[in-house]
Amino acid sequence: MSRLYDTVEPSVVDEEMLQKAVEEQGPKDEAGKIAKREGINFSDVLSLRLDFKNILKIDNLWEFTALTKLQLDNNIIEKIEGLDSLVNLVWLDLSFNNIEVIEGLSNLKKLNDLTLYNNRISKIENIEALKQLHVFSIGNNEIKEYKDILYLRQFPMLKTLNIANNPVSREDKDGFKQYVAAFLPNVEFLDYRLLDQQTKAAAYEKFQTQVEEQIDKDNKARAAAEEHERKMAETQLHKEAYVEYLNTARLFEDMYADDPEGNKLNQIPGVDEMLLVFKEKLMTVCQQLFEFGLQEYDKRKAEVDMFWECVNEAKQENKEMGMEAINKFMKDKKRLFIEMVQMTDTKMVDNKLQEYNDQVSALWDKLMGLELQLVDQLEEIIKDFERNMQDLVSVFLESVQAYLTQARDLENIHNERMIESATSALEKAAKNELDEDVPEELKMLLVDKDTVMNAVTSSHDVHLLKIDNKEDDIVTRINNWLKNMIETIHVEQEIQRNRMRVTEITHLIDHLRDEADLLDLVQEDDGVV
Amino acid sequence: MENEVQAEVPGEGESNKTVPDVVSSSPIDGVKEDTFEKDDEDENEVKSHGEGEDFTEDAEALKQELETIVVVPPEPEVPKQPVEVFDPAEFPSSYKDNLPKELMVLQYADNFRRQYVHLYRDRKPLLLNPVNECGIEKFVCTTIRPSQLPFKELYNWEGAAEFVADYLNFETLEPAFELPTRLLSPATVLKRQKGNCFEFSTLLCSLLIGAGYDAYVVNGYATRETCLADESREICPLLRKKEEQKEEKKQKVTKKYTVKPPKDLKSKFEQKMDARRLAEQKAEEDKRRAEEEQKLAELEKPPPDPLHGLRIHAWVLVLSGKREVPESFFIEPFTGLSHSTGSESYLGIESVWNHNNYWVCMQDCSDGVAKLSYDLGDCTMWEFMFPGVDKNQLLIPEAEDDLDNLDDDEDKEEEEVHLDLPPSWVDPLKLSQKDFEMRCPQGKKTKLYKRAKLEKFAHYLLDDGLISRLSVFDDQELTDLQVVKEYYEHRSDKLNMRVHNHRTGWITEHFHPGRSKNVKEHCYRASAPAPENDRTMHFYDEARVDGLLKRIETPLSMTEHYKNRDDFLFYKHVDFGKRTKKFGPQDEVVTSNPRPIVKMIQRFERNPKKPANADISELIFLMNEDKIQLTYHTVNAHIASSTREFIKPQNWDEKGAMLAWSPDMHATFQVDPNADLSKQVELYENLLQLLKMEESCREGVRESEEEVKEIINDRQKEEQASELDISVYDTERNEKAKKHRRELERQQMEEKMRKQEMEIDYLAPFLAQMEDPEKIGRADACKLKEDCLADLKQRLIDKANLIQFRFEKETQELQKKQAWYQQNQVSMSKDDEEEYLNYCSEAMFRIHILELRLNRHKEMAPHKYMALEQKLRTDPRLAEYL
Repeated sequence: MSRLYDTVEPSVVDEEMLQKAVEEQGPKDEAGKIAKREGINFSDVLSLRLDFKNILKIDNLWEFTALTKLQLDNNIIEKIEGLDSLVNLVWLDLSFNNIEVIEGLSNLKKLNDLTLYNNRISKIENIEALKQLHVFSIGNNEIKEYKDILYLRQFPMLKTLNIANNPVSREDKDGFKQYVAAFLPNVEFLDYRLLDQQTKAAAYEKFQTQVEEQIDKDNKARAAAEEHERKMAETQLHKEAYVEYLNTARLFEDMYADDPEGNKLNQIPGVDEMLLVFKEKLMTVCQQLFEFGLQEYDKRKAEVDMFWECVNEAKQENKEMGMEAINKFMKDKKRLFIEMVQMTDTKMVDNKLQEYNDQVSALWDKLMGLELQLVDQLEEIIKDFERNMQDLVSVFLESVQAYLTQARDLENIHNERMIESATSALEKAAKNELDEDVPEELKMLLVDKDTVMNAVTSSHDVHLLKIDNKEDDIVTRINNWLKNMIETIHVEQEIQRNRMRVTEITHLIDHLRDEADLLDLVQEDDGVV
Repeated sequence: MENEVQAEVPGEGESNKTVPDVVSSSPIDGVKEDTFEKDDEDENEVKSHGEGEDFTEDAEALKQELETIVVVPPEPEVPKQPVEVFDPAEFPSSYKDNLPKELMVLQYADNFRRQYVHLYRDRKPLLLNPVNECGIEKFVCTTIRPSQLPFKELYNWEGAAEFVADYLNFETLEPAFELPTRLLSPATVLKRQKGNCFEFSTLLCSLLIGAGYDAYVVNGYATRETCLADESREICPLLRKKEEQKEEKKQKVTKKYTVKPPKDLKSKFEQKMDARRLAEQKAEEDKRRAEEEQKLAELEKPPPDPLHGLRIHAWVLVLSGKREVPESFFIEPFTGLSHSTGSESYLGIESVWNHNNYWVCMQDCSDGVAKLSYDLGDCTMWEFMFPGVDKNQLLIPEAEDDLDNLDDDEDKEEEEVHLDLPPSWVDPLKLSQKDFEMRCPQGKKTKLYKRAKLEKFAHYLLDDGLISRLSVFDDQELTDLQVVKEYYEHRSDKLNMRVHNHRTGWITEHFHPGRSKNVKEHCYRASAPAPENDRTMHFYDEARVDGLLKRIETPLSMTEHYKNRDDFLFYKHVDFGKRTKKFGPQDEVVTSNPRPIVKMIQRFERNPKKPANADISELIFLMNEDKIQLTYHTVNAHIASSTREFIKPQNWDEKGAMLAWSPDMHATFQVDPNADLSKQVELYENLLQLLKMEESCREGVRESEEEVKEIINDRQKEEQASELDISVYDTERNEKAKKHRRELERQQMEEKMRKQEMEIDYLAPFLAQMEDPEKIGRADACKLKEDCLADLKQRLIDKANLIQFRFEKETQELQKKQAWYQQNQVSMSKDDEEEYLNYCSEAMFRIHILELRLNRHKEMAPHKYMALEQKLRTDPRLAEYL
């Protein structure tokens, strides 16, 4: 704000101010009266205007969670803050303030109209999250660089842009305009003027090379991002199959990662070939395990999908039966009520009432019966499912163990060979027949048999440990997954669902009985009259 | 005649047997031996009986009885009706004469016939060379003229057969058991639009072969119904129900985790007993029905035909292979329908032929045609006439041997001579577009079917565009009308079909898309066509802005169904009350007295954007009780739905009034007991919104009523003045285009005339006087010029004189009249005076004109003279000499 705020007392966003604003801007007339009588919850307010209030700091707005439109223009706000909880915001006006940096907007994902007109912003930034942005106004600010325009290329929905009166455009107004038109082809209105096709075409012509370069760059970046995403998804899938990285040499590398002795021993001449063979064999086993794991994953997934499909079908069928019963009842009820209202004889009314109550009870019986039936049915299939899943998991685990045993065997064989090589190397060392280029650290090991053997054994132990760890990891994770899933099913499908349904039925029946009572009261009054 | 014979031999089986034989022998075909044989047989029989006369009295009695029998020798057939005589002048020479090749073919055929008769004495004669229009014998194969007419409908056999059946009127054979002696050419048949079965078949065959089918004319025997084209026992093809699609029962797939159905607590035994009882009942019913059906079928059976198996008929056989015909079949030319080769309508085949060859059937037809083979190359089954002309021949090499037996020594020579048939003698078939469109003779045809009558009309024949009318009756005698279906075409109101059900009294009209209100079907009572009565309308919903699919009305309600609407409305129902009678001067308010609305129901589909508990499923406005009832959609996890009821505030219908609100104006039931209660403000706003919806709903209802009225009015107008659409490409019927074309033609003609006038040679008369117009000398040229100029001069003078003469005459007459007037002026009536004045002014006008003309003539004459002179000077013929 150009005003000097020394001279004005800044105000604070407090309860009183908000209450007043809400009441002023709330419903009018009769509705207003009702609203006042009843009180308005801040969490219900959809739009709020706090302009010309000399607000310095945005505060106390956390309660307005449903807010879609917020106007804070013509204040003296210096920092965008306190808006994190207003996730439903669509329209935000912060024009004519003293903001210097764009920040604190990353939670407002639904925002599609953002006005920062007349502030002191020198860089467009921190609004990557606002994918829905349609209208963006940043005129009368301190934007200095052309590359800020490029930043706006990431908003495909951006149709209206106001960026007039910034240092960046002051020198060459037309050139800047063309620049914007060329680099933001989706923008239709620039500085409140329509950008027609001709202008756009001319602009494109002018900056063709640069634009195309930019497009190329964007495409590459996008492709890289997609590739990354795809990889992540793949890894995620592998993780869910509990065989992540088994199609790479990760296990082998892990084996030697925490194995200084082994690495040293590997420098024994001739070992490198052995090592290659070992690595290859280990990789083959891992690859097999990996493929098996994916297969098993598919099986499990199919099983789970099938289970849910059936559960949903059963629920749907049950629901339809219940709804049918209710609809039938409602029809009868309508007829009965009409008859009752028209009757004058109290006795007959009583009879009818009795009939109605009987029907309500019958409905209750029917609905509860259906629910019980569903509970039984679900219980049964959940049991089946649980058993089958357990089987699947144990089959999977057995195979995993078998594969890892193979890996261990390989490691054992390798170890024996290592011992051999180490022994021969030791002998050579004793005879001083070792090559000159053997590294020092290996020479340190090749002093006596115990040292070498210790080194080999410890390396072997480390390797076995890694394999054991892998196995443990897989076993624990899959067991946890199964346990969690079964538990969730039990809790959600059996207990919670059942409770909810029973509550609903009871509630409905109570309501139906109440209705009859209400009607009855009226009836008796009539009778008296 | 046959009856005559029968009457004379009552109860005599043997004689009965001979009757057909006797009758069948025709004097024309020279099968006299047959008759003689039979006579001999009869004699023999009598003799054999005669020998036994000594033994028994019975035999005596029999003899006496036999003696009473008088066998009447067959009288030569006298044509009962005078044979239509054709003027030979109408036909080209090919009709009146036979080419040498044709003569040879005829001889060949004659030879074939002789041998055939010799070899198969008991078989009927063949139709080989009947006479044509001009009384000339022509071989049947050459009567087929394969031709393609320029109509795409005739390219397929269905279209061609239907066309032939429609276009011609049929004549029966007289008598029914004899071959015709005359076979008209297809061209003539097409012209006179009638023919017998042979002519029908020949024409159809010509068309089919022209269209590339492997078609044959079949000569054989058929049932009476087929021969007489009596379809009154057939179900009308239009009524034949399409194969009912078997409902695919969705087999519930039992998946691995499909829940088990709840335990069935019913007694299995009882169920079984029930099932058994039901089955028994059903069986009994089936039996009864079967019996009834049988009875009915017997009733409907035609009376036995004394000539069964003897009636000669001709039809068309289409063999598989060409034009992707998968299976051979027959086409009945009278009806245009196809029959399988096993059809029971046909009883036997004598011979088949196409434009290339003639085959005689050598197979046993005693069981009908079902078992016949149609491999024409197999000469054990089909005896061919011309060797080596048909590719079928190539299939079986042994055919050569049979040929030897048949044709003896002539074989070789014959083969060379008759390697192919002469071209057809028939004129090319011609059919104008107009005649093709007329379809039937006079554009109309009526067919009778079992309990149905079908009338066909040519397009554009009737003013209302009717093209066919199908009346369905409840009884055989066609008196008890059940349903009338009328099909229309080219109507500008897009009416397509009208079904009038006389049982229920409902009329259903079907329309093509493109009407202003997009009506698709309109169903109403014939007795109450006015608005506000029972009716159902279907619409083309995709063409309507409001997505209206169907509107059902009764006098006191209206139901509308919608589809694909933005507001998810799919059903709207309105109940009307009785109109309140208004007293006092009613005339002005009649139009503005709509039926009062009692109740309006609107149903909506689920709007996925709203939460189910706020998405209205059913909305009921009870106008009488001032109540609004709402039912919301059911949330996925619930089975009951929330409901809400508003009572409208007292002053709700006052305009501009503030609506008061009190919490007891509404009642809510929420399915989820834990859900937050709506705030009063929300409810109040909800109410306001509902009031608006009510208003718009009511307006919608009134609009609908208006629309119905409008549609009905439109329909009435359209019915009164049914207009037909004429395509812009239809040059014959499009009057405007025709006019335009005529105008163009006229202009062209005028232009031509003018050009001709321009080119009149002014020298021609003078050149004609000369001896040799080609050689013109100088003297001649000068003379020509002089003559020419003199002639013009003379004519100019003559013309001047003529004008002068007329001028003088007029002047004289006027003077006379004036004199007369002067004399009689006193005794003149006013009328006479007026007449005189009129005359004077007219005469003066005429004189004036003549004067003008004379002057102009005088002025122009020298110019014309000069112009001619100039022209003569430059004339190319005279230029060099002048």
